[in-house]
Amino acid sequence: MALALENIVKAFKKDVVLDGISLSVDRGETLVLFGPSGAGKTVLLRLIAGVIEPDEGTITIQGRDMEGVEPEDRGIGMAFQNFALFPHMDATDNIAAPLTARNMNKTGIKSTVDKIARMLKIEHVLHHKPKELSNGQKQRTALARALVGEPDILLLDDPLRNVDAKLRFEMRLELPRLLKDQNATVIYVTQDYKEAMALGNRIAVMNVRGIEQTGTPSDIYLTPANVEIARLFGDPVINLLDVTPFQAEGGVQITLSGVPLTIDAGYLDVVGRDCIVGIRPEAIRFVDEDSAEAIPLEIETETPLNEKTVTLGLTLNGREIMVSRPAGTPGPAQGTGFIAVDANHIHLFDRTTGQRIDPQASPAAKAQGAT
Amino acid sequence: MSAVLKLTSVDKFYGPIGTGVHAVQSFDMDVMKGEIIALLGSSGCGKTSALRMIAGFEETSRGTIELAGREVQALPPVRRNVAMAFEGYSLYPTVTVGENIAFALKAAKLPTAEVDAKVKEVTEMLEITDILHRYPTSVSGGQQQRASLARALIRDADLHLLDEPMGQLEPQLRTLLRGRIKHYIKERGLTTILVTHDQTEANALADRIAVMEGGVLQQFATPQTIKEAPANLFTGTFVGEPPMNVFEAQASDQGGQVQLDLGGGLHLTYGPDAFAPDVRAMLLARKDIMLGVRPYAVHRETQGAEAKVIANQWLGDQSHIAASFAQGTIVLVEHDRADVAVGEAINVRLAPKDLHVFDKETGAALSHGAKMA
Repeated sequence: MALALENIVKAFKKDVVLDGISLSVDRGETLVLFGPSGAGKTVLLRLIAGVIEPDEGTITIQGRDMEGVEPEDRGIGMAFQNFALFPHMDATDNIAAPLTARNMNKTGIKSTVDKIARMLKIEHVLHHKPKELSNGQKQRTALARALVGEPDILLLDDPLRNVDAKLRFEMRLELPRLLKDQNATVIYVTQDYKEAMALGNRIAVMNVRGIEQTGTPSDIYLTPANVEIARLFGDPVINLLDVTPFQAEGGVQITLSGVPLTIDAGYLDVVGRDCIVGIRPEAIRFVDEDSAEAIPLEIETETPLNEKTVTLGLTLNGREIMVSRPAGTPGPAQGTGFIAVDANHIHLFDRTTGQRIDPQASPAAKAQGAT
Repeated sequence: MSAVLKLTSVDKFYGPIGTGVHAVQSFDMDVMKGEIIALLGSSGCGKTSALRMIAGFEETSRGTIELAGREVQALPPVRRNVAMAFEGYSLYPTVTVGENIAFALKAAKLPTAEVDAKVKEVTEMLEITDILHRYPTSVSGGQQQRASLARALIRDADLHLLDEPMGQLEPQLRTLLRGRIKHYIKERGLTTILVTHDQTEANALADRIAVMEGGVLQQFATPQTIKEAPANLFTGTFVGEPPMNVFEAQASDQGGQVQLDLGGGLHLTYGPDAFAPDVRAMLLARKDIMLGVRPYAVHRETQGAEAKVIANQWLGDQSHIAASFAQGTIVLVEHDRADVAVGEAINVRLAPKDLHVFDKETGAALSHGAKMA
């Protein structure tokens, strides 16, 4: 294990920012810390970097307890959303700073800087001062500086936040290869769920209460631990409707806009309980009026979303529903449409606690699943 | 249908006419009643200058602006009958958010009940009903932005101008609010121009998009047309996410077949009938071209040009795949979860109907699929 945090507590005066955070990152892994501002993500990075010390708990890097270890002795590279380049030094000297600090010889520095600059496609601007660089070039320079010392741990604090959409997309595709080539162990902070899913081997979803779920992108998207996490991942946002599961002849059912939908028999335990059903916009499809379980939807408007078309509609109860489908596939643009929900792709949450409810794998449920 | 707004040969110079900074260059635009238009471009492209001239906050250096049958370029903003949600056209700090939103209707002496009903409707849509009694400085930037938007949308005016209306919204709300706002505007038939740097927002809301760069209007067309027939390389690569794949290519006639050499030893070969005669003739006459293909139009197939996967990123509802291809990278979008590993070799097909050909020097579009541009 490259990095382990155990029961980290950090307070600023009476404000407890981190209250018992534990986290571990494997060698070569990219762990994304995802969450809204104010969740304590940056404080956590600063603790790992050694800029501040925890009130309680231990930080271990490469098996070594970091208590009392100076930041420069921790084997850490960092890059930030505001780039934090030295304004009076050109890109070369900025990138070389970690090497100069450890007294590497000039030839060694030059070849190392050139190599990393080539990899990041900034070799043509190496003699430029930060103010002469575009935001994209600044970001690459900062990244090069973080990588050049071949740190054990790389801390990236929302590095793509201030670059334009096109470059952000490009970097999102490039970064994993770059990080893999360096065999870097990375903690990557972002507020962009797409970045989190694209870059993270695992994602730790953090909010003011702490880390609420840690898992692979699949775990987080397909089995979000609570309503809030379900809302944070996905665009358009997941549809959430109040339901109370009931038992009927066909099995366990919920009612969507007056139309019953049979759900997994493993939800038998939650019959009669107030729940929220979460239905992702891409788990809904348009169907013919006479299809079984077709739910009428009054179409309000259609908004293209990159390679998708998003339809906003109202159910008979006046509840908003968003449906998303690949652009160019058929669907009604106005009037009344009919939708069907894939019962295998619904999420059920407790209405009081917001916690996810998974169906119990009862023998009956298994039998039904087998047919 | 006639134009509500008509800009004819509009120029904006900062500094002396002719020698100052030419921020907007002979700009022509017709906007029909009830249309939603997006002025789209990166910072400094001239979109905000254009909007401010229409609003009357900037002097029009040359040309005419006609709104609802009157020439307005010399009129002060208040006499143009334009509703605005703008940076720098902020909320009145001394009255509550609710009073700000209702201000124009009250000034027009609408009955209180009607004002209240309209305020309720627009603020429910934008989810700001809980801040109506608060003062602008005590609410967040995103809430101020929505209050400003509500104040503009509630009005009855010849034209609604919205400057980056949704820049500060939390991402979870953005797609939903875009849908609601579009529905609200369409239901009332409001003629609207919005300025944005975000091509996703422009595509989501606009009937037509005016793409600007360097003070010059690059293309003014529906989102569909811009997607299928971008006027030039700038428009083609600026609009669309992921951006269009672009490669340098050399066309040649190989025994009747058209061969496109993309460098790095990669050739795409197309049969004698793959292109319409005029497109084929153009390709062979031009030789050196820029070839564009949108990520959604690149398909993995058993037969096709070789590419090697360098990233496969699943975003929940789609997969973005990047693969090394020719001398560069090609990006594909798939709607299902793509089952390919990094390092794996794939074959991709670039169908003639999905190829966009651009002039290598000027970037102007030459052909889109089967048709000449």
